[in-house]
Amino acid sequence: MKKTSILSYFFLGMILLFLLFPIYWMFVTSFKTNMQLYKIPPSWLPLSPTLGNYIELIKGKVFLTYYSNNFIVAFSASVMTTVVALLAGYSFSRFKVKGSNLILFGLLSTQMFPVIGRVIALYTVFKSMRLLNTRIGLAFALTAATLPFCTWLIKGFFDDIPKSIEEAANIDGCGRLMTLLRIIMPLTKSGLLAIGLYTFLLAWDDFLHCVTLITSDNLRTLSAGISMRYLGELSYDWALINTISVIGTVPMLLLFVFFQKYMVQGLTAGAVKA
Amino acid sequence: MDFKTVLKNKKNGDRIFAILLMLPALTIITIFIFIPIAKSVFLSFTDYKLANIASGVGHLWNNFSNYKAIFTEGDLWPAIRVTFTFMSMVVMLQLFLGLILSVVLNGSIKGKRFLRSIIMLPWVIPTVITALLWMWLFQPQYGVVNYLLLEANIISQPIAMLARPALALPSVAIAALWKQIPLMTLMLLAGLQTIPSEMYEAATIDGCNGIQLFFHITIPFLRNVIRTTVLMSIIENFKQFPLFWTMTGGGPMNSTTTLAILSYRNAFVNMNFGKGAAVATVWLCLLLVVAFVYNKVFTVNEME
Repeated sequence: MKKTSILSYFFLGMILLFLLFPIYWMFVTSFKTNMQLYKIPPSWLPLSPTLGNYIELIKGKVFLTYYSNNFIVAFSASVMTTVVALLAGYSFSRFKVKGSNLILFGLLSTQMFPVIGRVIALYTVFKSMRLLNTRIGLAFALTAATLPFCTWLIKGFFDDIPKSIEEAANIDGCGRLMTLLRIIMPLTKSGLLAIGLYTFLLAWDDFLHCVTLITSDNLRTLSAGISMRYLGELSYDWALINTISVIGTVPMLLLFVFFQKYMVQGLTAGAVKA
Repeated sequence: MDFKTVLKNKKNGDRIFAILLMLPALTIITIFIFIPIAKSVFLSFTDYKLANIASGVGHLWNNFSNYKAIFTEGDLWPAIRVTFTFMSMVVMLQLFLGLILSVVLNGSIKGKRFLRSIIMLPWVIPTVITALLWMWLFQPQYGVVNYLLLEANIISQPIAMLARPALALPSVAIAALWKQIPLMTLMLLAGLQTIPSEMYEAATIDGCNGIQLFFHITIPFLRNVIRTTVLMSIIENFKQFPLFWTMTGGGPMNSTTTLAILSYRNAFVNMNFGKGAAVATVWLCLLLVVAFVYNKVFTVNEME
């Protein structure tokens, strides 16, 4: 027994090092100058921390443009997804219209399709709809990408609410839409938060949609902007790149710290049920 | 009579209401997913390059020449091989490490609540940033990985991991594992928590050791969670694009050119949308076959 617990602590230590060191190293590197970076052996602590990289990054206004675009797109996508998935998920959960299970399965199977195959044609569809090179178009494409999964997830939350609540509301003369908005929706707050956060996370992470559907630099989001502007062919400014990484990561870290209960609950509920 | 019409109306009303609620979701998904996918399959049979768009000629049926080209040029088979190698490497290691980590974190370890939440951190790091972090760690002259390997005398000279054909794919796989282990562990942990502890107690009284407990109780109880998470992981890694594009761009010498890279390169670098779509269509078919076989294997096992 003793031997296995030593072994498990050793394994835990190794894997924690593997998972956490890169994040620590990103923070440390961002506070060093390039001169300090190119020292062997590397200094494991930021001995003379500098904010120079951060100041340089913020001075170059283009970064702030990418950053705010990322917020706009991710926020719009997550609001749209939450509203649309709420309506559809409720419908799938409560009204067993003929073929609704088949529709839900069809929606979910789209999650499998390779994104690249889709964006090739999406490019032409966007062109004819005049959505190419617009942030709202990008937000729609990302909404469509997460909608099936989110609808399925929120349906699970509705399934857990007893039908008698609606029946009671109905007797009290509450219409269908009012019942949904006033009575049922407040009961699924945590589910709605979960899908909103999940969409935000995925939209923030997006690279491929932005690279293909946005061509003008001042509309680009973070991931695409970074890879187009800051990654040189030959040499990399590693101090600056790590600084970009920190700033690009911090909103996600904050979301996770404050809302991890909802993010975790929503995702695991789905996996354990299915 | 009157009562009957009301009842009928209620039912009809429910149906109309249900369809209205679905409508926004169905519209968005039809416009932005179903139509593009159908169109992309259609484009794969046509001659559709940047020149066609510019001159307004549009797409012309080209008698399967996109498919003929991709099957004869010799890029496709290596790309399929690389995609499958990468996918199986990442999925298997991820399941293996995730299982051990989740069992350890489900046991009696100090501070496990805290540990469970900090191991999730890599999951929220954006993929392109994950790629950058690992490029910096793998950097030949000043990267930490090379420094540690040199200090431990495992290597005698710094190596450029991402520039060596044999090492590039495993290096990208490490970055992928780093980002994906947390979610896998989280799902498995959720599954572990549904196992009643009496099961373990009873089996321990019957004289089972730790390894027997693992194979006879833990694994059977987790099978549904494993089935779902592994399928999700297969799909995710089959589709992986940003890590490759940022870390290696498909090189060196095409050793990390997956179907995703090949398709992207044809469509958006060479601006031959038809050919890119043909690669994507082959890829979609492969994915469907894999998912189908995977589900078959699992159902057959269930019957035994």
